[in-house]
Amino acid sequence: MRERITVYLGGVVVLGLAMVPFVPGAPDSYLFYFLFLFFLHTAIAQSWNLVAGFTGQISLGQHAFFGLGAYTTALIWQRQLFGESYGYYFDPLVLILSGLVAGIFALMVGFPLLAKLRGDYFALGTLGFGEIIRVAFVKGGQFTGGPFGIIMPSSVYETLRPHYWVGLALAGGLTYMIHRIRRSHFGLALISVRDDELAASSHGIDILKYKLIAFALGAVFTGIAGSLYGHYLFHVSPDGFLNLNWTLYPILMAVIGGSGTVLGPVVGAFAMTAVFTLASVSYPEIHPIFSGAVIILVMLFMPNGIMRLAKR
Amino acid sequence: MSATTPVIELDMISKRFGGLVVLKDISMSVGPGEIVGLIGPNGAGKSTLFNVITALYAPEQGEVRFKGRRLTGTRPHNICRLGIARTFQLVRTFLSLTARENVLVGAVYGRGSRGGNVNAIADEALAMVGLTQQQHIVTEHMTLSARRLLEIARALACQPSLLLLDEPMAGLNESEIERMVEVIKRARGERGLSILWVEHKVDAIMKICDRVVVIDHGEKISDGTPAETVSNTKVIEAYLGEPIA
Ligand SMILES: Nc1ncnc2c1ncn2[C@@H]1O[C@H](COP(=O)(O)OP(=O)(O)OP(=O)(O)O)[C@@H](O)[C@H]1O
Ligand SMILES: [Mg+2]
Repeated sequence: MRERITVYLGGVVVLGLAMVPFVPGAPDSYLFYFLFLFFLHTAIAQSWNLVAGFTGQISLGQHAFFGLGAYTTALIWQRQLFGESYGYYFDPLVLILSGLVAGIFALMVGFPLLAKLRGDYFALGTLGFGEIIRVAFVKGGQFTGGPFGIIMPSSVYETLRPHYWVGLALAGGLTYMIHRIRRSHFGLALISVRDDELAASSHGIDILKYKLIAFALGAVFTGIAGSLYGHYLFHVSPDGFLNLNWTLYPILMAVIGGSGTVLGPVVGAFAMTAVFTLASVSYPEIHPIFSGAVIILVMLFMPNGIMRLAKR
Repeated sequence: MSATTPVIELDMISKRFGGLVVLKDISMSVGPGEIVGLIGPNGAGKSTLFNVITALYAPEQGEVRFKGRRLTGTRPHNICRLGIARTFQLVRTFLSLTARENVLVGAVYGRGSRGGNVNAIADEALAMVGLTQQQHIVTEHMTLSARRLLEIARALACQPSLLLLDEPMAGLNESEIERMVEVIKRARGERGLSILWVEHKVDAIMKICDRVVVIDHGEKISDGTPAETVSNTKVIEAYLGEPIA
């Protein structure tokens, strides 16, 4: 019952947020940009949550998927893969392909890593994978634009509205999907793998299969988020996209909000986006110190995340 | 498959860990509807034998046959789907899931192609061990004895034809042990399953089992009825002269 009310309220909030761009002047406000970042952060935090929070596989290679998504968009667009007159800007096909490319990489690298490595070693394996991808793009020469990356034609930019809506749909849709998964038989399989792999496999669960599906799903959504951010910057580079921050941010947000819960990463993404924004606007000189202090305080006083605290 | 084909058959199984020989040329079987006790001193290799049957370990030598079919190379989840379910000596329930969700894992994923309604199967398994009242409790908050019963319910929900119990009574008090005995008897009575049961509470084994297999230092030293087992001199020696029944 309480759960149904939460879903209903969530739907109302998403609908309300979807109306914001129609408010005169709103798209030009700083708050509008803040909400866009919040949605983007929610999407990557939820993606990590699915892999680590629900399935127990700590991935430290999320920045690779974020970058792969962005580079896929940039490459398709730059090379005009679908012809010269095709509208690449916010094309659903381009967004989806960006997610799929990240997902395919996740399957290719996830299969050997998940089959062979467990726990910390898997985490380090994904970190290594992220580094390989970064170096490959830096050294990619003409194809990837090297350390500078690829520029997309920013003349198509009119407003932040499409970014906002796509971000909202991504964050809202992913959160709803995770809610449904939590209540499904598929979710039971993921959580049982997280809780006890041996017992899961002894009760009919093909653990490698479920780890792979979760890892690939997380990569797909992270890739779409990367593409979305590429649509905002119009410049996809190793520094901007294959940066380890894109792995650390989602972990931070999911953990602070409560990983393994449905709403934790949303709360965490909101809180951390607010902290980062506040810090960079109000105390630009000490931004990292301020943010770091807040993170340490939250972890000290809410060791299981904000959402878990609320439950107690 | 003839009426006399054993449900499970171990043929000259050997298992080593590095230089340590843990199982040596073990052959044994469990027939349809039979309940067989597996006893032996600490470190005899009983749990290792379970891990070989459930494919968590691969034996260096020998083969395991389930209903006449060789299990070599079968992955653990498929072993369960074929019809072998187990419990663990150190309880391994899914701690963040409720009791019912634990049982559902077995009912949804553990049954292979055996038909039936998932929820009805979970209800029945919970009722069988008497946990219906506690089904919505998160397992983390359950007592050891409730978790041991839950493991049995989860295994039963896989609708196995062979149930492997690894010391289901360890850590339980007298009244909990009585309840466990009832559950095991009922599981066999109502389902007609075959059971292979490892236990240190030897008196319980002797009372309930059709047959008892004794292993010591990885070798089978006795295989017979409870009466034959207690009078076997090798068995008495293995237990250092302790009266075992
Ligand atoms: N994974 C492993 N690696 C190395 N040695 C192992 C491993 N598993 C078990 N052993 C060793 O194998 C021997 C048999 O262990 P096992 O757990 O099968 O005994 P058991 O009969 O179940 O004993 P208990 O009654 O104490 O449960 C022990 O000496 C144990 O230390
Ligand atoms: Mg043991």
